[in-house]
Amino acid sequence: MTPFSTLPAIIAILFCGGILAWLSERYFNRGSRQISLISLSVAAALLATYWPHLTDSPTGVWWDSVQINWIPRFGISFSLAIDGLGFLMLALTVLMGLFGLVVTWRDIRFRRGFFYFNYLWTLAGVVGVFTAIDLFLFFFFWEVMLLPMLFLIAVWGYEERIPAAIKFFIFTQASSLLMLLAIVTLVYLHYSASGILTFNYRELLNAQLTPGNAYWLMLGFFIAFAVKLPALPLHTWLPDAHTQAPTAGSILLAAILLKTGAYGLLRFTLPLFPEASAAFAPVAMSIGAASIIYGALLAFAQQDMKRLVAYSSVSHMGFVLLGLYAMNTVAAQGAVMQMIAHGFSTAALFSLVGAIQKRLNSRDMAQLGGLWSSLPKLSATALFFAVASLGMPGLGNFIAEFLVLLGSFDSNHWITAIAATGLIGAALYALLMMQRVFFGGLRTPEDAQTRSPTDLKAREFLALISLAAGLLLLGLRPQVVFDIAQPAIARTGTLHKKAPTATSQISSPKLRLSAWPDTDHRRGNSP
Amino acid sequence: MSARELHAILPLLILSGGILFLLLQVSFLRSHKAAAATAVITLIAAIAACFDVARTLSQSAAPIEVTGLLLIDQQALFFCLLFLLAALAIAVLGFSYLQKRCDSARESIPEAFYLLLLLVMLGAMALVFSNHFASVFLSMELMSLALYPMLGFAVTGDLSPRLEQMYSLESGVKYLLLSALSTALGLFGMALIYAACGALDFGGVAAAVANLPRTPSLLLSGLTLLLITLAFKLSLVPFHIWTPDVYQGAPSPVTALIATVGKGAVVALLLRLFTELELFSIPALTGLLAAASVASMLVGNLLALMQKNIKRLLAYSSIAHIGYLLVAFLIGNSAFGNEAVLYYLVAYVITTLGAFGAVGLIADSALARTAGSAGEYVYTTTSPFQRDFYRGLLWRSPWLAGCLAAMLLSLAGIPLTIGFIGKFYIFAAGIQGQLRLLLAAVVIGSAIGLFYYLRLLLTMVLREPQAPLDSIESVRIAVSGRLLLISLTGVLLIFGVFPQILIDWIYTL
Repeated sequence: MTPFSTLPAIIAILFCGGILAWLSERYFNRGSRQISLISLSVAAALLATYWPHLTDSPTGVWWDSVQINWIPRFGISFSLAIDGLGFLMLALTVLMGLFGLVVTWRDIRFRRGFFYFNYLWTLAGVVGVFTAIDLFLFFFFWEVMLLPMLFLIAVWGYEERIPAAIKFFIFTQASSLLMLLAIVTLVYLHYSASGILTFNYRELLNAQLTPGNAYWLMLGFFIAFAVKLPALPLHTWLPDAHTQAPTAGSILLAAILLKTGAYGLLRFTLPLFPEASAAFAPVAMSIGAASIIYGALLAFAQQDMKRLVAYSSVSHMGFVLLGLYAMNTVAAQGAVMQMIAHGFSTAALFSLVGAIQKRLNSRDMAQLGGLWSSLPKLSATALFFAVASLGMPGLGNFIAEFLVLLGSFDSNHWITAIAATGLIGAALYALLMMQRVFFGGLRTPEDAQTRSPTDLKAREFLALISLAAGLLLLGLRPQVVFDIAQPAIARTGTLHKKAPTATSQISSPKLRLSAWPDTDHRRGNSP
Repeated sequence: MSARELHAILPLLILSGGILFLLLQVSFLRSHKAAAATAVITLIAAIAACFDVARTLSQSAAPIEVTGLLLIDQQALFFCLLFLLAALAIAVLGFSYLQKRCDSARESIPEAFYLLLLLVMLGAMALVFSNHFASVFLSMELMSLALYPMLGFAVTGDLSPRLEQMYSLESGVKYLLLSALSTALGLFGMALIYAACGALDFGGVAAAVANLPRTPSLLLSGLTLLLITLAFKLSLVPFHIWTPDVYQGAPSPVTALIATVGKGAVVALLLRLFTELELFSIPALTGLLAAASVASMLVGNLLALMQKNIKRLLAYSSIAHIGYLLVAFLIGNSAFGNEAVLYYLVAYVITTLGAFGAVGLIADSALARTAGSAGEYVYTTTSPFQRDFYRGLLWRSPWLAGCLAAMLLSLAGIPLTIGFIGKFYIFAAGIQGQLRLLLAAVVIGSAIGLFYYLRLLLTMVLREPQAPLDSIESVRIAVSGRLLLISLTGVLLIFGVFPQILIDWIYTL
């Protein structure tokens, strides 16, 4: 290990940047945004040093790792590692962080320093979550990202922010207590069986568990991640939190924080408990399909634009859940693609709603209409992302949803067929929003009549256009993403194969692993 | 008594000497500052003595028995050290409290506070060292008797608001009556134990228990009665009724004292009692404690939900925290259980001190601004103990609010704080002991707890300061109080991020 390692440096820069931003605002009354921009850019530059790993096929499993003893009493170490999946998630995190910062450059006036402190600390926590491979450290970061997010919602949110913030925190925190319980139990069982006390992910992968224990532990992890995702019965915090959060907070929540749940499922739940997950897969897939339909239906019924986008997230993340538990490479690739594409499109939609709210002081679809005539640039951009969100071929979301459906059809015909109807729902709510808000006669709320709204500024426009370009790129050249994610996903697959079957009492459904080794690439390329 | 034995009880001797010296000093020199200085010096000397004794102990490795009444071992010294440090903090808090309320030109006697504080410490430390039911009773009584006047101490401060004096008096009387009742039960329990075993020292009772074919009901009822006394002192449900009233009414430093030292010493005794007498093998007693633990976690957290007064809220939350601690206690006679109890107790003491300290200091500052007509202070606005008083505190005085926020997060068990590591220990212990029901209660209790800690936390960050006009300016507290809070917060964060340091200390000392 070299004395300077990139992964801790990224986290440290975000943490320190947050503190600096706070201090500079407090003592000089300015500079917090610039400091945030610089620290995020440096983090992006550091991340870019992993670029060579993208092209040469990695020989080792992990591209880079760091391990420092932390609490030897419990075999806990400060260990971070990065692989293809982690890299994709980190890139998403840093890019969305930059996007949220730029697009809301002028939004925050109250206690700006403290705002950017929380903003950067949330990002630092998320980076930690995506790189930690010690379960204790993972949990540590998992919690660290929550608290600043809580403040973002509670201090800078809209009308009902305090209840929304409390709800958000209690849902995630209570479920993560279950995860902590599961982590400690897993470590204890591994320790009793092997005599090695460790929280290290790579060692715990070899833990021998009885099927009953594995099932319960898997549930502990699953619930924590399902709350974050969010999956159907545990999603109720999401509409409130997303709606009440300030625009930058909504972008963080939707684009990045939701992905930590999906990442957790892919990185921890599936590999650690392969058999139990396989037994649980039908249930999880049903939950995913139900989330897709339910999210679409509720999005359709909303008056509030932000709530509409929030419910559409429930629907889109349902695809991720469906894809992950379909237990094959195609669907898993689709799920990873969906994580990225959904991050892009939802972040853009939230920022557009935020822009409308800032200009017209309303996000109620009953009060808005015909904005195209007065805000042509904004409306055109909104049309692009609404169409992306409903799964237009040629854009990333289409590839993702198509692959998920393709892969899961193989595992379960009926659930997939039902889930596919969610696409119709997506078209309905996205087009309805376009029609009501942007087309037709001009309607603006009474209190905004006097002001003539200004269209998107060059800064906002540029940020949105780059996201649009990103989505287009994902749609036309998805192969890049597949290649990067492939080793990590394949590893999840090989673990399924290697999993001991002799002790298993649960009848696991027949797995078809890596069943589509090449075809997915071809199909993905032909929108 | 040999020189070695005398040396072993050096901390107790220093405390006693300090008390006598302070008594004489007060009769010649009436000065609040001088009395506080003497108390602080005595406490620091006692801390130094603890380290000294610990060094001798680590050389000989065997615990030192002093006259059959006391037994000095490493673990007891660790507890003493913790309590002495807590007492130092309480002396600082008490100084700020009394400074505001006592006018030495009139008849108030702030010096008595330090005298009583040292007496409580003497009782607590003797309790920790006890190895005989006689010394248990004596030291417990010493502690309680010194606590009664301390709880009612607001009456002495002639500048205290009228309402505060009434509450304080109520608090003292309530604790006096209920504590006396519970002590009587405990004494009866000891008598029954003596009747069953014919011995009062822990070793003798343990031998008798081991020789008896099965636990006789006489012994069992004696132990149960004793346990009830201890449960009362720990304010476990259903013996918790006194807690909110006493905590609310007492001066904040005394509340911190009774919540940390008062409870901690009883936990130490419980640990020694169960280990020495091998009581973990009696299912009736562990079952009783488990039931009390579950009830404390659930009832404490549920009732805390409904409180608007911060001190009452903290009182109920401390009931719940002792419930969590018992989970680690209940896994039986194991090194890990001991370690978990110690760690959790340290976390609890630091956090509780910080929380009550911050609340008390904030209240003191509110008092200073609102001098009434007759020289005595009144709270013109909402009471500084109500949640409304904390609206937007983070914007008014960020450091103070930051410290209080850290304490609240630690109580809620959020990472980066010592409270999280404590909770982690509780989980680990519960899993080792396979205490499923208790763990479920911990999870449910913590989830409920989050709500009220968060509500208070979010009150502090409310955006529009709607607090009454005179409290909009920043809260000013004394430098000593500020230093204390910042150092407590620092310790809380350091042990929360690098718990290995404290774990090593627990092992070496």
